[in-house]
Amino acid sequence: MTILHWIGNFLRHQLDLVPLSTARWFMVGLYLILMFWIIQLPSTETNPPDRSGTWRGDLKIWAWFALMFQIIIYSVF
Amino acid sequence: MAQLTSIDYLVILSYLAATMVIGLWVGSYVRSGSDFFLAGRSLPWWAIGMSLVATDIGGTDLIGVGGDAYRYGIVMGNFEWIGCIPAMLVGAFVFIPHLWRCRVTTIPEYLERRFSVQLRSSVAACWLFLMACNLGVMLLASAVFLKSLSGWDVSVCILATALLVGAYTWSGGLAAVVYTDVLQGVVMICGCLMFVVIGIYEVGGIEPLVDKIHAVAKAQDQQDAWQREQKMTATERLAEKTKPRHDRPTHESEHLSLVLPVDTRSPGPWPGILFGLGLIVGPGYWIGNQCIVQRALGAKSEYEARAAYVYGALIKNLIPFLVAVPGLIALVKFPELGHERADVALPQLVGALLPVGFRGMFVAAFLAALMSSVDSYLNSATTLYVNDFYRRFYRPEADEGQMLAVGRWTTIGFVAWGIYFAFQLQAFPAGIYTIFQTLLSFFLGPTLAVLAAGMLSRSASSDGAVTGFYAGLLTSIGLFSLNQPGVCRWLNLKPLFQVGQPYLYYSIWSFLVAMTFIVIFSYFLRSDPPEKTRYAIGGLNPEGGAA
Repeated sequence: MTILHWIGNFLRHQLDLVPLSTARWFMVGLYLILMFWIIQLPSTETNPPDRSGTWRGDLKIWAWFALMFQIIIYSVF
Repeated sequence: MAQLTSIDYLVILSYLAATMVIGLWVGSYVRSGSDFFLAGRSLPWWAIGMSLVATDIGGTDLIGVGGDAYRYGIVMGNFEWIGCIPAMLVGAFVFIPHLWRCRVTTIPEYLERRFSVQLRSSVAACWLFLMACNLGVMLLASAVFLKSLSGWDVSVCILATALLVGAYTWSGGLAAVVYTDVLQGVVMICGCLMFVVIGIYEVGGIEPLVDKIHAVAKAQDQQDAWQREQKMTATERLAEKTKPRHDRPTHESEHLSLVLPVDTRSPGPWPGILFGLGLIVGPGYWIGNQCIVQRALGAKSEYEARAAYVYGALIKNLIPFLVAVPGLIALVKFPELGHERADVALPQLVGALLPVGFRGMFVAAFLAALMSSVDSYLNSATTLYVNDFYRRFYRPEADEGQMLAVGRWTTIGFVAWGIYFAFQLQAFPAGIYTIFQTLLSFFLGPTLAVLAAGMLSRSASSDGAVTGFYAGLLTSIGLFSLNQPGVCRWLNLKPLFQVGQPYLYYSIWSFLVAMTFIVIFSYFLRSDPPEKTRYAIGGLNPEGGAA
């Protein structure tokens, strides 16, 4: 046993104590944090520079769609 | 697999002809080095987005993920979901627009502007080595799979793929790669979708499929557990029996779960997936891999580069259903294959399920997945060599015409190298493919560390970045070595990791070590001048001048 094995065993044991339902929440939580961050982005960063597009040009909406699909997927499987 | 008929061949030839026409037509517009390497910065978001997805799914991935889904279940979908989508969205709104604004051609070029030429050369050399090796590995691995799909000779497959891809990449550079990727992406998605729909119909629908997956996988798990128990000592057997059930109902297997326990036998324990794949490997791949980022650098505008990544993330939601579900259908149809022969499950399923014409469509989808990856690696390896070595050290004054000529000659050189290396690799055991995939995980952690430090902080210094990159690289290599059975026997140690394929863990530790070194060395050693630190995010205006 080296110090690396000791660290590995300790971490493995601690992580094994985390219930899978909590681990699933960590993953869904990652997507929720991203959704919150994206909604706060300034519109200059998510729209075409000349603002010529309609709502379809706003990237926030499509990024939200991608994240919502993910939350559904990680909640179901 | 059943023999291909003339209708199947017609479908395959139509696809190949369409690819060549698009590639060579786009090539007729290429006039300069800038056109060749960055498509003259004219690419639209929809083409880049589809190209990102097509490049990411190689031919070997298409078959390999199916085989792994047969063995381990839908957990393999994590590699396309949490391994891609968060990283693509963070890339879309933070990193990619900044790289585009810096007007660089390669990621190592950015690293010289922000840090130093030593770091540029080190990163470029590592990636060039990986890409050049991967060209041969992809050609061989795909040819082997193509043989099992169609019965064609391996040597013919290697030569035909390399020459076809080489022809249009030589002619059109990045633009040809991206526009053919659009066709290849569509063919790949349609071919796999057709396969999944027919498969689900044959099994009797989604609900019967789910029930059968649980029943078959549960029986296989029990048999597998029994076989492992026979090899255990009494103490190990007792420890195995007292392990928690991880709150899963007794009738369900792990095959339909994305979140698996720490001691799973699949390559996807949840800490590796969340911390390794989601936070390190995914961002490292989508932000630090020249092969991926290059097409966004060729976007028409900063907005188009962002939109391409968001569009790609949307499509990514669909991919695991197309590449992993066939493996689950094969599990239900051919449970007798077992873990050992899971890789032949997909070709066998194609033969059993698909009628005449549709088989050709699936082979075309496989070829599309293969070609879209090989052409990207070919073009990016050329771009790295020409920009980061030839122009940087040998001909700094080379004009656009010379860059185009050298780019085309280098493409020919890499095609020849890829063919030669693929033939040489035939003498090696099949596991060689996995070794080169592991090599990728060596570079991702350190590359992400230097990029993130350089872009997000003006305090990170070039000395810190160079030291951190090498420290991270050595960490990956050290951990990999300490996990090899031969080394463990020699040192009389147990392997460091208990999961089968711990490459996600190499990335986590190499990133952490690299970042620690960057922070410590940047704090204690000299800081960089303002002309370097202005390349951190916020230091440039949209036109590329100082903010």
